[in-house]
Amino acid sequence: MKRALLVPVLMVLALALFVLSLLVGPADLSLHDSVIGLFAGGSEAASIIMREIRLPRALLGVAIGFSLGISGAVLQGFLRNPLAEPGIIGVSSTAALGAVAIFYSGLAGSSLYALPAGALIGALIAVLILLALAARQGSTLTLILAGVALSSLSGALTSLVLNLSPNPFAAYEIIFWLLGSLKDRSMEHVALALPLMALGWILIAFSARAIDALSLGEEAAASMGIHMGRARLLIVVGVALCVGAATAVVGTIGFIGLVVPHLIRPLTDRLPSSLLLPAGLGGAALLLAADIAARLILAAGELNVGVLTALIGAPFFLWLVTRARREML
Amino acid sequence: MRKPRRKSVSHLSGLMLLAGALLAAPASATPKRVMSLNLCTDQLAMTLAAPGQLVSVSFLAKQPSLSMLHEEALKYPANRGRAEEVFLNDPDLVVTGTYSLHNTTSLLKRLGFAVEEFSFVQTLDTIPDEIRRMGSLLGQEEKAEKIARDFTSEIESIKKKQCGRRPTVIAYDQNGIAPGKGTLADSVLQAAGFDNIAADLGVVGMAPFPIEEVIATRPDVIIIGRPGETPTLGERVPRHPAIAALPDTRIGSFVPQGSWSCASPSVIEAVRALAKLRAEIAPCPGEATQ
Repeated sequence: MKRALLVPVLMVLALALFVLSLLVGPADLSLHDSVIGLFAGGSEAASIIMREIRLPRALLGVAIGFSLGISGAVLQGFLRNPLAEPGIIGVSSTAALGAVAIFYSGLAGSSLYALPAGALIGALIAVLILLALAARQGSTLTLILAGVALSSLSGALTSLVLNLSPNPFAAYEIIFWLLGSLKDRSMEHVALALPLMALGWILIAFSARAIDALSLGEEAAASMGIHMGRARLLIVVGVALCVGAATAVVGTIGFIGLVVPHLIRPLTDRLPSSLLLPAGLGGAALLLAADIAARLILAAGELNVGVLTALIGAPFFLWLVTRARREML
Repeated sequence: MRKPRRKSVSHLSGLMLLAGALLAAPASATPKRVMSLNLCTDQLAMTLAAPGQLVSVSFLAKQPSLSMLHEEALKYPANRGRAEEVFLNDPDLVVTGTYSLHNTTSLLKRLGFAVEEFSFVQTLDTIPDEIRRMGSLLGQEEKAEKIARDFTSEIESIKKKQCGRRPTVIAYDQNGIAPGKGTLADSVLQAAGFDNIAADLGVVGMAPFPIEEVIATRPDVIIIGRPGETPTLGERVPRHPAIAALPDTRIGSFVPQGSWSCASPSVIEAVRALAKLRAEIAPCPGEATQ
């Protein structure tokens, strides 16, 4: 495929899946009713279903898929580590822990703002810990092992906090936080997460020149006039915003940031910066597709979308690990 | 002379038999120390037990959100349904649910405790007999009989007062779970004169019900749970903006807190509250003007 075509093709793919996502749901709406409902408004059932239930879900699918894809791409470029991904290195699960700790304690009443606040703090802490580790000892393995430790610890603490909640229903929500879902989200969640994620995309976009220079090594990058501290700050805050806001509203959805950049990299000129936008679009398409499948696979009820992304992502991860080992030998 | 004498003898023997039965029954059958391990047996036991007879109720009985008799429950020591607690309390009788704490129940039976299990796949129709059963276990047959009879007759009189169309309703709770056929809540809704759309659409037991279908069926009433002390995400599902956008639907908690979590006499409070709501929505001719 010609490189110039990559972004338009991914855009069309994401848009098609976005429209398909709007058309899938338990209520039997005809195509005609769906379109009228979406654009006409009013208090007809079709209109409420389209505008208040399916539209926020599809919007979150696009925005969160984009955030996870672009975060994976920038982390892989910046850390020069093919296995870096917000889920694998523990950023997502720490964000979930932050959200859970603040929301379920009732410290912020029942305000939804507790979720992104907690998740951003969690994600920020995780990124800082991992960067400190990566800076001291830059091996691929150290980062992944630290991520494994961070993920297991955060997952365990998330379960603990939910089990300790005085509200007996909280414990039922462990599965949501560990294996994310876009079910029953509303425009409130879009309003909560979208601005934060958009800010994250902008910060990551500003780091594009730095990650390109970094592919030549830190010294070379410094000699090209790249301010490493500034680049690091942009990426840390950008990834924390993207992953924190995404996790705050849909729980932990893994592997999107791992799979998508690897699939798309061969189609680019292999500069880390030219992967960012396509990885975001590809992430949006993948999450939308997984979320549509999650609604269709089971006739009654639905799957957690994190189950599907893990089913796709985990074998891919194993394949990457064996390939990386072969290259090292 | 013979006849009266014989008569007095038969009187006397009858009295002795009766006295014998009265003396023997409490000594052998009526337990002095009863322990309840389940929220629902708690409700029945607290209603029926003689003073001092019930030694412990489950900790859930003290939660206002689940237990109608939570104030009453404060008088009793709480248990968490663990076999060790039962062992230390050494009750004559343990009452619990068939579903919950199954391992504990079989362990207690092996240890030689008298355990009576109550099933909680129940509806309004089964409640009177459950009341009678608990009454006979606790040796409170008369009290139980009266409560059971009053319960049945009040349900009957509530059903008789209904007229006009049956409004549609869904009880929409944490995470969009709705009670369908065979549940206590469904029988309460039916008795109060509503059509439960979850049951109509084939939900059996407690099952997830998609928000989209709630919107599509536009029920007259949506009964949502009360928020807990600390928040959960699940309790936001019935408060989804899509549901709030339904223009002609009454949305609220409607039933008194904790009144229909258990098949116990206090379920009547839920039936009363819903019957009142129904009378507002579909008033009988002549009542509308009052």
